[in-house]
Amino acid sequence: MSAATTNRRARALWAAAAIGAVGVAATYVLDGAPRFWANWLVWFVILACVALGTLFLVALQHITGSLWSVPLRRVPERIAALTPWLVPIAAVALFSLPAVFSWTQPGADKITPLVLKSAWLNYPFFILRLAACLAIWVLSYRLLITRSLRQDETKDPKVTVSIRRFAPAFMILLALTITVFAFDWVSSLEAAWYSDMFGVYLFAGAVTSAVAATTLGVIYLHRRGRLPGVTDDHLYNLGGLMFGFTIFWGYIAFSQYLLQWYANLPEEVFWFQQRTSGKMEGVFILLMAGHFFVPFLGLMTRSDKKNWRRLRGIAIWVLLMEFVDVFWLISPIQGRGLHLSWPEAAFALFFLSAGLLVILRAMNRGEDMPVGDPFLADGLKFHLR
Amino acid sequence: MRKPAYGVLALFPSADALLKAIPKVKAKGYAKLEAYTPYPVHGLDAALGLPESKLGILVFLMAAFGAVGVFAFEWWANAVNYPLLTDGKNAFSWPAWIPPTLEGSIFLGTFTAALAMLFVFNELPFFGHPLLKSPAIDEITRDRFGLLIVPSGASFDEADAAAALRAAGGAAVETLPAPSDEKPDAAWWTRTALAIAAACAVAGGATAFAIRVFPTVKPMVNMEVQPRLDAQEPDPFFANGRGMRLPPEGTVPRGELPILVANLDAGGRVLIDPLPVTARVLERGRRQFDLHCAVCHDRLGTGRARLSSVYSAKPADLQSSTMRRMADGALYWVISRGYNTMPAYAADVSPDDRWAIVRYIRALQRSQDAPERDLK
Repeated sequence: MSAATTNRRARALWAAAAIGAVGVAATYVLDGAPRFWANWLVWFVILACVALGTLFLVALQHITGSLWSVPLRRVPERIAALTPWLVPIAAVALFSLPAVFSWTQPGADKITPLVLKSAWLNYPFFILRLAACLAIWVLSYRLLITRSLRQDETKDPKVTVSIRRFAPAFMILLALTITVFAFDWVSSLEAAWYSDMFGVYLFAGAVTSAVAATTLGVIYLHRRGRLPGVTDDHLYNLGGLMFGFTIFWGYIAFSQYLLQWYANLPEEVFWFQQRTSGKMEGVFILLMAGHFFVPFLGLMTRSDKKNWRRLRGIAIWVLLMEFVDVFWLISPIQGRGLHLSWPEAAFALFFLSAGLLVILRAMNRGEDMPVGDPFLADGLKFHLR
Repeated sequence: MRKPAYGVLALFPSADALLKAIPKVKAKGYAKLEAYTPYPVHGLDAALGLPESKLGILVFLMAAFGAVGVFAFEWWANAVNYPLLTDGKNAFSWPAWIPPTLEGSIFLGTFTAALAMLFVFNELPFFGHPLLKSPAIDEITRDRFGLLIVPSGASFDEADAAAALRAAGGAAVETLPAPSDEKPDAAWWTRTALAIAAACAVAGGATAFAIRVFPTVKPMVNMEVQPRLDAQEPDPFFANGRGMRLPPEGTVPRGELPILVANLDAGGRVLIDPLPVTARVLERGRRQFDLHCAVCHDRLGTGRARLSSVYSAKPADLQSSTMRRMADGALYWVISRGYNTMPAYAADVSPDDRWAIVRYIRALQRSQDAPERDLK
């Protein structure tokens, strides 16, 4: 691709981000703080999910020693470039604490569940946990990915070995931090509610959307001839992962819903009631049908998973559903009704174009494949049959 | 006439050698090939030119049928045929039916996969397969990869086929004779029957263990053991050691007015219906009657509900003249204290509900024996 096209695309994204930024600022002025913060948190969570999901994918491929994924690994590594940007987004998000989190509101010290959780939900500890999570993520990004990028020049196979040693430790750290993140930044908005599988729920959506983003990146590069040697068989595995994590998400989402629906305890079930009644019922049904059934049926057969057009369509759809999912989780804190209008569009425009700028910049730097990885040749030889 | 041979078989030392040999043999004009391998080999279907298996479609259809079938059955059983209202939920409580729906689709899907694979696509049982008579089967189930040329066309020559296989790198070439039409002998049937019996015995033993022994093992007790007193539990805190407390002398708990009369006749004389005469009371009585009474006494009170056919005691016919003559207070006394095999309902049905039931029984009696003026 010529530099001119890249620049034109980057300029268009900059312009879109600028328009979005105006809309974001206007939201705060015209629609008030709660609307602003709900949207800010939605995009904080989505971008964190995609970034952590891609880190997970990279670590997973190192742990399993997969050969098929080596030629594609640069794509999730580049999308993970979002990770350091989580720091400023989170820093701004800290100002939402007094505005929209139920445990910071006046009178929270009189609500029993919140009092019981006050040892966990207080400003110093909350901020400490956020700082720890961000530190772990950025450090893991450097250990997992920056070293891999540098390997392109050094061609040092020892780097692969040492990344593979770190990957299992990262899995444990990710399990802990993503659970803390899910509890702190999504559950604790309605701090009286609890679901101990909520971290897994967010994780399942994060990995599904990370696989979708990776698939889109692979298709984007492949169409421009930048991934020579990558075949249907490589793509098939991405389709398989997307299919598998779709089922995993459906299983976790339904398990969480079923248990609380069955027990029908007031302190748990109110959370689902807010999200399944009134105008949110439509979003709930869209989520069930769109996040599970569409990719489940759309990726079922072997030829579906090798169909580039099909996979691109489903991947875009899955990312849209990740937005619907996080919107469904966070938006109801603003009260009853469907809060979907121009502010949501402005936030989407701003964060999508800014995120794409980060990814595009990463896409145009360095090699398109990990040329220093000793397993690259084997990975290119991968065939299903 | 001599039956045509089943085919010409050769063994290859590796999956790669087999995959390389197939195009060579095909190039010689042998289109119908069959391969025998100790494990599934990637790429074999494509090399042999086999079409994509229909098994996937069959499994999908059966799994979908299992899901829809179980969901429909749950709906019919729980929402249509015998609506069960529990926990304030609708009869159409679909989330509760999703786990069995999932199980149903997995059950039918996996069974279809295994059984259709064995009996439809692999055409088992096939007792006279010539390969089973050949020493090659020992090697094929261990570490050799067999390729069979199946005769097709009139000009098939075994020697030519053998030469083609040898040229492609095959060893131990042999001609497999036509399949024999042998049937299993008595010993085979005995072995099979014994194996099935042994499997049943193991499954039965495992089930007995799971039902009788396993529940007595308690790996986790954190829901069962709680820092509270269960009914009838002793408590050393109180002087008499009883966890359950009696109300102080001479007091009556709210809403639990005791019935101080000893028998039904006295009840009929003393107990008086306190409820107003309204449609709401009758409606309340209907709900409570259908909930607690109809299961034995029938929804019309005839005493011939479906439970009575499997139950030795005969529930009272509330439409009988004895029952019609019985005083309201006496009916109330029976509901509260029980009668013969009928248990006491005082613990389950509140006093007002009991009176509402009495009122509804009267309405039922009148509905089945209406005086002429009611019909005008």
